[in-house]
Parts: sequence; C-alpha cells; structure tokens
Amino acid sequence: MQGGTSVRLYGLEWPKESARISRVLDLLVAAILFLAVSGAFHLHYMLTAGDWDMWIDWKDRQWWVTLSPIMAITFPAALQYVFWTKFRLPIAATFAVVCLLFGQWINRYFGFHLWSYFPMSEVIPALLIPGALVLDVALLLTGNFLFTAMSGAFAFALLFYPTNWFWLAPYRLPVEVMGQLVSVGDYISYAFTRTALPEYIRLIERGTLRTFGGHSAIIASFFSAFVSILMYLAWWHIGMLLARVVTTPNTLKNFMGLTDKDEPAEAAQKAIDGTSLQGRFVAAE
Amino acid sequence: MSITMTHNAKSAAEDRTQPLANFKLAAGVTLAVLALMVFWRIFQQVYAWSAGLDSTEPAFDVAWMTLLKVELSVIPLLWVVTWAYLWFTRDRNLGALKPREELRRYFNLVLFIFIYALCVWFATSFFAEQDASWHQVVVRDTSFTPSHIVLFYGTMPLYVLFGVGSFLYAMTRLPKFATQISIPFVLAVVGPFLILPNLGYNEWGHAFFLMEEVFSYPLHWGFVVMGWSVLALGGLLIQIAMHMLEVIGRLSQEDEVSVATQR
Repeated sequence: MQGGTSVRLYGLEWPKESARISRVLDLLVAAILFLAVSGAFHLHYMLTAGDWDMWIDWKDRQWWVTLSPIMAITFPAALQYVFWTKFRLPIAATFAVVCLLFGQWINRYFGFHLWSYFPMSEVIPALLIPGALVLDVALLLTGNFLFTAMSGAFAFALLFYPTNWFWLAPYRLPVEVMGQLVSVGDYISYAFTRTALPEYIRLIERGTLRTFGGHSAIIASFFSAFVSILMYLAWWHIGMLLARVVTTPNTLKNFMGLTDKDEPAEAAQKAIDGTSLQGRFVAAE
Repeated sequence: MSITMTHNAKSAAEDRTQPLANFKLAAGVTLAVLALMVFWRIFQQVYAWSAGLDSTEPAFDVAWMTLLKVELSVIPLLWVVTWAYLWFTRDRNLGALKPREELRRYFNLVLFIFIYALCVWFATSFFAEQDASWHQVVVRDTSFTPSHIVLFYGTMPLYVLFGVGSFLYAMTRLPKFATQISIPFVLAVVGPFLILPNLGYNEWGHAFFLMEEVFSYPLHWGFVVMGWSVLALGGLLIQIAMHMLEVIGRLSQEDEVSVATQR
C-alpha cells in the first residue's frame, strides 16, 4: 500500500494508511464493545440478581452474597475467552464490570433518583471492580482458564462481601422504629415505599439464619465461590461458542442477482482460515 | 495500454483521497438517535407523574397513548423505508467490487453496527432498569405504562431498525456476507429482536399470575437469554476484522501494481 513513510504500531512497522485504518477500526470496535457489553451484561444482571443490587435493604448476608458473584462472573468469563485467546488482553473482567457499573450508575441516578425519586442511598449498586481485577490478574499469571477458574473465580466471589462491607457498614447500624429493631438500610426502604415489592426483611428474616450467628455471610461467600468456579467454566465456553466465526451458504444468492463469479476468490477465502489475527496483520504488510 | 494504466493509477490516487467511510452520515444518525433518546427521557419526566399514574384518566390517553400510536406508526414505517432502500439499491455486480470500495463498505458496516449498539444500550440498560424503578412507584394497571411505552415500543423497535439494517447492508454490499450468511451476525440481530415477542409472555404472566415486580423472577428470564446473544457481536467483529485484513492485502497488491505502472 502506498503512503511513503511507515509508522510503528503495536510493535509492528505499518504503512501510514494501514496504521490509520487500524486505529479508526480500533476506536470504533472499542465503542461498540463498550455499548454492547454494558447493555447485555446490565440486562443479564438486572434480571437475575438485580433486585439485590438495586435496593439497600436487599443487600443481606445470605442471598445477596450468594447470588451476586455467581451472576456477575458470567460476562467477565465469556469476554476473557475472547480478549485473552484472540488478542492477549488481560483486561476483560475489569472491562465487563466497568461496563456494568457504568450502566447501573447512570440508571440509578437518572432513573431511580431523578425520575422515581428514590434517595441515592437506597439504590447504590454493589462494587465488583476489585474481584474483577483479581480475576484478570489470575488469568494473566496462569494463562490458563482452568487455573483461573479455581483461583480467580474463587477469589472473585470471596472478595465480594469484603469489597462492599466498608460502604455498607453504616446501613447495618441498628435503629428502633415503632418498637421494632431494624437496620438503617431496612428503615430507608420502609420509609420510601415500593408499590410492587414487599420490604425484603419480611421475605428473608425467617429465623433459620440465626443459627449461624454472625458468620452466615462467610458461609454464603464460600458457597458462592464454589458455584462461581462452575459458572466461570461454563461461561468461558459460552464465550468460545459465540466468538466462533461460522457461516452458511446464502440460499438467496441467485435471487439477489449474484452469480458464482461474485464468490470471493478461493485463495482469499483460504487465507483467512487458520491464521492468527496478528499473523494476518503481518501478512497484510 | 499504458494510457489505461496511467488512468487507473490516477483514479487509484484520487480514490485514496476519499474518506474512509461515510462518517458524516453516521455522525448525523448518531446525533438524531441521541436527540430521540433525550426527547423520550424528557417526555417521561414531564408526563409520567402528571399524566401517567392512572391509565383510565383522559390525560393518560392524550399524552401516553398518543406517543404510543406515533411510535407504532413511525418506526415500522422507518423499517419499511430503510430496509427497502437497502434491498433495492443492492450491488448487483459484487464480483467487480474494487478493494478500496470494499474496505470503505466494511467501515460503513462497522459504523452501522455502532449505531445499533448505541440503540441496544439505551434499550437494554438505560430504559430497561429504569422500568424497575417506575414499577415501584405506581401499581401496574396496564401493559402500556410510561416506562413500557418508551422501552418496548420505542427503543426496541428502533434497534431492530439498525440491527436488521446493518445485516441487510452487509448482505447486499459485501461479497463475503452476500455469498455466506454469518451466523454470529444472525444471532446478534435476531436475539435482541426476539426480546419483543418475549414481551408477550411477560405481559401475559404479569396480567394473570404475578402482580409483583421482582426483576429476578423466572418470568423475566427469556429477556436474559435473548440478551446473551449480543455477545455474538464478538464473533462478528472478529469476522469483519479478518475480512478487512484480506481486503487490505489485496489493496496492497493493487497499489504495488499501480506504482510499478507509474514507473
């Protein structure tokens, strides 16, 4: 390709125009990925663990701790497959979680607070970034999805409760309301009525948890860590499945006015099979 | 012969001065989409509390049902016009497509997918979770709530417009997508589209047996599975990158020939 001088990009010498094409494409793909992952991951999370994430009184020591990491490790695992195996980028989990949090914070402010008038203190989303960083580091150090599942996914779930504990602590303080002892979090959600949801305390505090004293969150965390390992393995493979380039012949081809001479050259078709992306960048030079 | 080659070299040089893609059109459509999203959100802010609390009120009919009717007539019209335009202006001689034009079309496709992703984000993130907050403000007395009218009958049909549009663009203007149907592309377009039929199940469930709005109830899991298919965009983007690399390779060869001819 013409262009006179070459530039160095991603450790390779590129003709100027190729470098420009590559940069523009990178920016567009990054924007698409951010929007698509934010949208899809947010939809997935809000409809599987969202209630626990949306409301302060739902952030209990049993189900919130159990369910949130199990549902949150899905997209990070799937994206880790794509980012790591195709591009050697060890940032997928953090990227996915930041996308999720972006969607959540925008929504809690513009939707829950500005439109529906819930106080922000009632609708703060959980923090997931530290666990995601550990998950990425685990993959970077081990370079293996099985070891990442056993160490990183385990840590992702175990870190969830301690990560959130520091900002949640004030909402766990006891307060007496009309002769009843409740937490500040419970009371906030009692005061700001939800028309289609009972107070969580009526659903969850049935007495059996009391037998575990103060360590029910720890038990829930370890159980969550165990299931997160399995979820990580499953979603790594879902990522593998959805990132596959599979095609099927277009049976409408003739109807569209195309003929066999419109087929891409067989040699060109072969050239795109079985070569790594980076290898093909070099080949294109 | 040499005159023809000189002419080819000239036209190749002129070709290089053309923009890489139709960025102006893409920027215009992106701004229009953003303006529409802002309009919807402001409409909700103004009319949800004043006219959206009781579906039997005449004010509800004036504000909200009017918006619904406009959405249900304008967006399907946009479907027909856009998709028909893409189909009837299809390239019927893809075999003669020059590499540089093909590369330009790939960039246009990526821009098309960007606008699709933008609409998907507004639907599945911004307006979807907002729906959870509105259900906790007003007891649901209709399927056409102020949040549903924007989410299900506004933003979702809008992303269908761009999803199917981008698929048709690729199928009618790019040789590899014309001869081989890309399964990741099909998944990335059809999956989010199927959220709309799943809405029927959602409304049926809420009308018959579940008045509560716990978001994580199994009634909503159909939406989740459809949302997963957005991940197939990963496979599609890899496929597009692979195709573009192959086109760049052909472009390099073409340029080398043109340089040799000039000498």
